[in-house]
Amino acid sequence: MEKVLRINKLSKRFGKIQAVDKLDLDISAGQVFGILGPNGSGKTTTLGMILDVIAPTEGSFQWFGEKDTVEARKGIGSILETPCFFPYLTAVQNLRITAHIKQCGTENIDSVLRQVGLFDRRNDKFKTYSLGMKQRLSIGSALLSDPPVLILDEPTNGLDPEGIAEVRDLIRRITKKGKTIIMASHLLDEVQKVCTHFCVLRNGKKLHEGSVSETLGEINRVEVVAEEMTNLVTVIENFPGKRSFHENGSSLIITMNEGVNAADLNKHCFEQGIILKKLFTHRNSLEKEFLKILREND
Amino acid sequence: MIRALKLEWLKIRNYRVFWILTIMYLLALIIIASGGMLLLEWLKSEGADFRGLNPTIVPIYDFPDIWQNTTYLATFVKILLAFIVVISVSNDITYHTLRQNIIDGISKKEYILSKFLFIVTMAAVSTLFLFMLGLINGSIYSHVWGVEYIFDEMEYLAVFFYEVIIYCSLAFLLSLIIKKAGFVIVALFLYTLMFEPVATTIMINAPVFKDGIAPDIAQFFPVKALNNLISVPFGRYIFMEIEDNLSIKVIAIATGWFAIYLTSIFLILNKRDLN
Repeated sequence: MEKVLRINKLSKRFGKIQAVDKLDLDISAGQVFGILGPNGSGKTTTLGMILDVIAPTEGSFQWFGEKDTVEARKGIGSILETPCFFPYLTAVQNLRITAHIKQCGTENIDSVLRQVGLFDRRNDKFKTYSLGMKQRLSIGSALLSDPPVLILDEPTNGLDPEGIAEVRDLIRRITKKGKTIIMASHLLDEVQKVCTHFCVLRNGKKLHEGSVSETLGEINRVEVVAEEMTNLVTVIENFPGKRSFHENGSSLIITMNEGVNAADLNKHCFEQGIILKKLFTHRNSLEKEFLKILREND
Repeated sequence: MIRALKLEWLKIRNYRVFWILTIMYLLALIIIASGGMLLLEWLKSEGADFRGLNPTIVPIYDFPDIWQNTTYLATFVKILLAFIVVISVSNDITYHTLRQNIIDGISKKEYILSKFLFIVTMAAVSTLFLFMLGLINGSIYSHVWGVEYIFDEMEYLAVFFYEVIIYCSLAFLLSLIIKKAGFVIVALFLYTLMFEPVATTIMINAPVFKDGIAPDIAQFFPVKALNNLISVPFGRYIFMEIEDNLSIKVIAIATGWFAIYLTSIFLILNKRDLN
């Protein structure tokens, strides 16, 4: 697949602190790539380096396989932490500056403002906006040139629940358009909901990299309890939808094959004359995986 | 070039502070360039005289002396233009728009170019403005008239243009270093109009220093170097001295500072992480 970004041994040191440590990453077109990590793990520093606002101590990166990073940045819509606009200018006037830099013409401004729900306030000064509106304007500005790549750094940071929902909804709509998204977040739930791939950083080091579905792929597990546990074991052994199972105290934990769900299992047991007393589906969250990865690397 | 300049224009054209300072500056130029005759008339009404002559016949508006006279006076208000530069640069730092511009797709070089072209444009506009004021005042008051007089000594306008650019580049550099507009403005104001003039005056005139190398060193101070570009013209009316030659040495010193300012701006921005 076409490489969008290739990061090669990128490092940044701030005095005594190694913010990013020999990071290698490859991001391909169409991926929604989440960079996960606790606060201070080097997520924003990494994004700052690949956007040329922070000078790397070592290492290199390449956008779209090109040498010219300035031209590359014109094809990237970015939001880094806080929205950065002139408070004394209106939304339209601020976006004109973005359009001028991205050389993308001003005809998209109105439609982008409608998309982020700011069209009615387009001629109000930026300083009169609420935080949620400011954040939405920065998303609008990132979308302005209809770039193939978006970089979002903690896009829901500091927003109220309503604002978070709005921004997530917006991100989901963007991802449907097949854009490549690179997103830094410490909100695992957020990454799980929208990302296809992710990596985990801690203290600037990459601990894990993989696709979300593969990492969560083995999670289709069901825990069951019946009156007659010995019979249950036999019945389960005959269940074609299982991949494996093991006893866990007084219950059985069954890992299911792809496409088989708890209802199938329940039906099978019932047909074999076993009434299940308890049935839980274990939906492993990225959160668990994330904590596991952090623990494994302790 | 046009693209870089337009970036700056988009930032300031709806910025009220910019227009207020610009209008203040242009008014100041009008007052300075046109107020001479009012001053002389006031002196006359107070009974002053120059070696028994009526002050109003002092030929301050005669071509070509008018060019040195007005540009010399106009350099006193160049600090207002510097304030515009300070505000424009420190806005980009405090609002993080410098960082956003880079992220959106310009290089640091293009950013510097946009500010520098803005400075050059402001210098060009004020030079042109002074030229027009000179023509108007000259046509009213000059005792001589004719192309050979009017367009003589135009180099003072060129030097004025150069001086404004250098001084605004210093303002650009200080804004990058100090970052807070208020501090830069106070620092620039105190240093340009008080600290350095006092220091250089002492170095040049104090009996202790007068005979040493101090007076020579004083010529190398950054503000003194600029002030030397257009020398005080009024000596010719009082002492009948003629001091209207531009000195190559003075221009070289000013150019040296100019090079230092531009290089420092490049180095600082290239090294700095924009957080």
